[in-house]
Amino acid sequence: MARIVLNRLGQFAVILLIASFLLFAVTEFSPGNVASKILGPYALESQVRALSDRLGLDDPLLIRYLRWLGMLVGLVPNELGGPATGLGLSDPRGAQYFGNFGFSLMQGRPILDVLADRFGHTVTLTVWAIGLTVPISLCLGVLAGMTQGSLLDRIISVATVSLTSLPEFVVAVLLIFVFAASLGWLPGTSPLDPGDRWSVASQLVLPVAVLVIASSAYVTRIVRSSVVDTLAQPFVRTARLKGLAPMRVALLHVLRNAMIAPVTVILLQINWILTGVVVVEAIFAYPGIGRLMLEAALFGDIYLIQALTLIALSVAVTTQFLGDLAYVLLDPRIRVA
Amino acid sequence: MPTDDQHSYMPQLLTQYRGGRINRREFLRTATLLGASAAAAYGMAGAIDGIVAPAFAQEAKPKGGTLRLETTVYDVKSPAIANTTAHPWIYSQVVEYLTVIGSDNVTRPHLLESWQPSEDLKTWTLVLRPGVKWHSGRDFTVDDVIWNLTRLLSDEVGSSMLGLMKSYMLNEVDTGQTDENGQPVIGHELWSPDAIERVDDRTVRLNLKEPQLAIPEHLNHYQAVMLDPDQDGVFDVGANGTGAFTLVEIEPGRRAVIEAVADYWGEGPYLDRVEFIDLGGGDQAILNALISGQVHGAFQVQPEFSSILEQQKHLKLHDVTTADTAISRMNVRQKPFDDPRVRKAFRLAVDPVKASAVTFGPFATPSEHHHVAPIHPEYAKLPEWKQDIGAARALLAEAGYGDGLEVELVIQKDPAHHLRNATAIQEMLKEAGVTCNINVMPNAQYWDVWTTVPFGSTVWAHRPLAVINLGLAYRSGGAWNESGYANPEFDRLLTEAESMPDPEIRRGKMAEIEALLQEDGPIVQTYWRKLLTFYDVRVIGFEMHPTYALFANKLALGA
Amino acid sequence: MTAGANRTAKPARTGLLARLRGSRLLRSRSATVGLAILIFWLVVAIGAPWIAPYDPTAIDFAASADPSPSAAHWLGTDVLGRDLLSRIIFGARTTFLVIPLSVFSAFLVGAVAGMAGAWYGGWTDTILARAGDVMLAFPALVLYIILITTFGPSLWNIVIAVTLTYAPGVARLMRGQVLAVKGLEYVLAARAAGESPIYIMAAEILPNVGTPLIVDLCLRTGYAVILVGTLGFLGLGLPPPTPDWGGMVVEGVNLMTIYPHIALLPAAAVTSVVVACNLLADGFRETAR
Repeated sequence: MARIVLNRLGQFAVILLIASFLLFAVTEFSPGNVASKILGPYALESQVRALSDRLGLDDPLLIRYLRWLGMLVGLVPNELGGPATGLGLSDPRGAQYFGNFGFSLMQGRPILDVLADRFGHTVTLTVWAIGLTVPISLCLGVLAGMTQGSLLDRIISVATVSLTSLPEFVVAVLLIFVFAASLGWLPGTSPLDPGDRWSVASQLVLPVAVLVIASSAYVTRIVRSSVVDTLAQPFVRTARLKGLAPMRVALLHVLRNAMIAPVTVILLQINWILTGVVVVEAIFAYPGIGRLMLEAALFGDIYLIQALTLIALSVAVTTQFLGDLAYVLLDPRIRVA
Repeated sequence: MPTDDQHSYMPQLLTQYRGGRINRREFLRTATLLGASAAAAYGMAGAIDGIVAPAFAQEAKPKGGTLRLETTVYDVKSPAIANTTAHPWIYSQVVEYLTVIGSDNVTRPHLLESWQPSEDLKTWTLVLRPGVKWHSGRDFTVDDVIWNLTRLLSDEVGSSMLGLMKSYMLNEVDTGQTDENGQPVIGHELWSPDAIERVDDRTVRLNLKEPQLAIPEHLNHYQAVMLDPDQDGVFDVGANGTGAFTLVEIEPGRRAVIEAVADYWGEGPYLDRVEFIDLGGGDQAILNALISGQVHGAFQVQPEFSSILEQQKHLKLHDVTTADTAISRMNVRQKPFDDPRVRKAFRLAVDPVKASAVTFGPFATPSEHHHVAPIHPEYAKLPEWKQDIGAARALLAEAGYGDGLEVELVIQKDPAHHLRNATAIQEMLKEAGVTCNINVMPNAQYWDVWTTVPFGSTVWAHRPLAVINLGLAYRSGGAWNESGYANPEFDRLLTEAESMPDPEIRRGKMAEIEALLQEDGPIVQTYWRKLLTFYDVRVIGFEMHPTYALFANKLALGA
Repeated sequence: MTAGANRTAKPARTGLLARLRGSRLLRSRSATVGLAILIFWLVVAIGAPWIAPYDPTAIDFAASADPSPSAAHWLGTDVLGRDLLSRIIFGARTTFLVIPLSVFSAFLVGAVAGMAGAWYGGWTDTILARAGDVMLAFPALVLYIILITTFGPSLWNIVIAVTLTYAPGVARLMRGQVLAVKGLEYVLAARAAGESPIYIMAAEILPNVGTPLIVDLCLRTGYAVILVGTLGFLGLGLPPPTPDWGGMVVEGVNLMTIYPHIALLPAAAVTSVVVACNLLADGFRETAR
């Protein structure tokens, strides 16, 4: 068991390394000169060149990747923060420490500070979303699956098919239209800044609702079909023939066996929710890493894009790893995926 | 009223206004430009037309309260390289300009008490306002001014003031270094050691290489705030300033907070605190935040939302007519725009009236393909511009494009009106046989190509005088000459216009310039925008400014 | 993403064509409805130039002042005065060009990789699987945003982005399916008869691993519609003035409270296609049982 885990862990580390290099290489093609982005449109060529030199932007790709990696693990100092660049960038932690992502050009401060601020908000959003999605979709899915073919099942099925077909941006737009613009019950944006009228908690409601609606519909369907499949298994039929009460069957046998597929799906759902998070954060002006990602990509803030994609990758790889692990733990028959 | 130290042109100006040859706005603009204080200029105008000057006395505004305003919160550590009009929203409340262009398009001294140009417009004497102190308690001195101006004009700092003032303040020098292509690296230095001359403790004199009319306007360029030399040009929380507020918190992309200081030398401040909230710049988010009352006002609101927000009882529309525009400029160094017939054909194909209407509805006026706005004091009315598809086709055929022509128009993604304007242009060019593809770029990316793409749509902010824009954009080798336009005839006319303080004579010259641009120029231009925003009805003292400037010291929050 | 559902689905006993011929698929009500919706849009897309009342990019300068539905414009116009009905009709063309192209490209790459991995096993399999893991590690939209902002929004870049994000999932599925039938008698028989691997895969394996793959195809087509719509919504969609349903929604969203039709109609069009794909997937799943 431990060997499998270690083996898997090693593989994921390699994936992370390769993927981060690929990403670094892609941002290479990011249009435009970083120095001219910092100085803005009206700087003269001589001014842009002076800054480019100081930023060391003209070195080859591999050198810059290794330097970036070295900076990240604290082996190479970050040159940008010195007074020589005249950008007013400074990092209280110094130029060399573990977890040094460099500076965000868009925001003019250490990326670690930017992330510290944004990451927590996205975690809050995601935790609420998953925390509500899992129980809701488990209940609905099991209910529909146990009563397959009934009116309840059909209602749940139709509702979930329709909701999975609605893009998140459509759901968000509709919810804002109804609850913020028309009824005025909730705020229409979520800068998470306590104002006179809307508490931070009230600002969380709509973004979380969008994510929950979009993902619970999907998970409910998976749970339902998993339950239906499990009910058709011989051992469940046996249990029923033995006269066990339906609820007992459900809890003892069906749920455990039906959970195998959904658990992996729910963990994959984190990845899925990350995608939804970008959309939701963009629409609600929610200050998380999703909105940051979009802003960074549009600005061409390559250091920030690199940091964010590395984090997104780590999260995705970790959840995949946990998913594999859970799969192995829940289904003793599978030892090597 | 005339005094000894007034500009010699002033009596003529008064005569012209009395005779009705220039309008009130032109009079006020020119009089203040020539060194009269705004109050004096309004007084002189009032003596002639009987209109009572706007109340300079401060109406009683309620004190206290926190205002929450939507704006993009940029990193503003280095105001010298700030590159949007949203940057100064935060820092200009703390550190201030020597001059200020008001919402009425009139320039007034601010940290200066007065300015005085010489007859030939080559020497400008700037006198500091007495009694201005830094927050630290030190007097604001002429040495602070010299340090800031010198710094802004150096290559290392990277300020666009350099491009703005280059033609009359700097010489190009070969640094002796070469770049990777073997080209010599060109740097800049003051054209004369006396270019910025310290006269006495309160007076500094700018000695220019060539005449310049717009010194007071240039001193209000949004990067030209006066920073404390002791802080090395870095602006951060607690930075020393002369303004009504101090910065207490800033988190780029999220929020910034300023708080009032005691003993401000000018009006206000009335508010205790202003919070700037960043909503990611999304139009939809701004709209929703205004409707939900999450902010008291927004940096700007796109015109398409005005009808929605006007339904909201707690909000009030503020708008201002400006010379803000987008220029679809054709790079004359690139095919097919090296041929003036093609450029003219494009203008003939495009009807600004239609384009302006679908792009902004009532919130814009059509322009005339020459980048001089009706609100500019030197604007000359030319015969109405007529769309003429037949003539456009004929010109294109003459230039060898009778079988059609395919071009790409590069535009910025935000705001959405760029796409509407481009789509209108695209449709009208289609009638003339031109296939125009639209390439939408993220805004930051556009600025990497704005001087090189063959056909691109560039935003030009409002500037109070037309000659400022024309000099920056179309003079041969001009700092921001994105079209590569180089026409000696145009340069000559513009230089002549720039040395004419008299708006009436200048207008004659402008008519020639405008006609030349329509005939030969590198641009298609369709509209002049109104800028608009919505504020909570309780906010007192707000006026929409043609370059979005915010004067937080004048704002108050009523019940 | 559909790993759970597919793992439990059994390989089809009969080929797709046979099932269609027997109209078993059409006995499923959800499949019929889904198919009908898709055929409807397909006809609209193909016939767009003849059906649409206007050129979808033509601006009616008079109508732009009031985009509400009128006699001249049945569904009204967008804010630029372009006929909404014509834009939705031509938008179907965009959708039915971008989506099938992207999804088929993803399936081609994924299926080939999956079959190769399963068939040859060993290092080929390991390398392909790990490469797939790398690609799967990227949250799809994040990858899209990076690719599109880096290389610019164009038809081919969207196709490439969709291929990159979907192919690994398809490959995984395909690999599993091929492994399941690899050892079955008829495959072994074909191998014994000396048939080439390519022939065996195309003629023997592919038709028999069809159902889960087709279900997956339908579902992924639906997601692709959503993703491409989302890209349009984030302003990263196809270059204008190509009518693009997602882009049309975002243009109209701002005016929801006054002219809701500008956003709601294209949103409904997007949703209908996704619903159709999901229904079709359900139908295939039902008939597979």
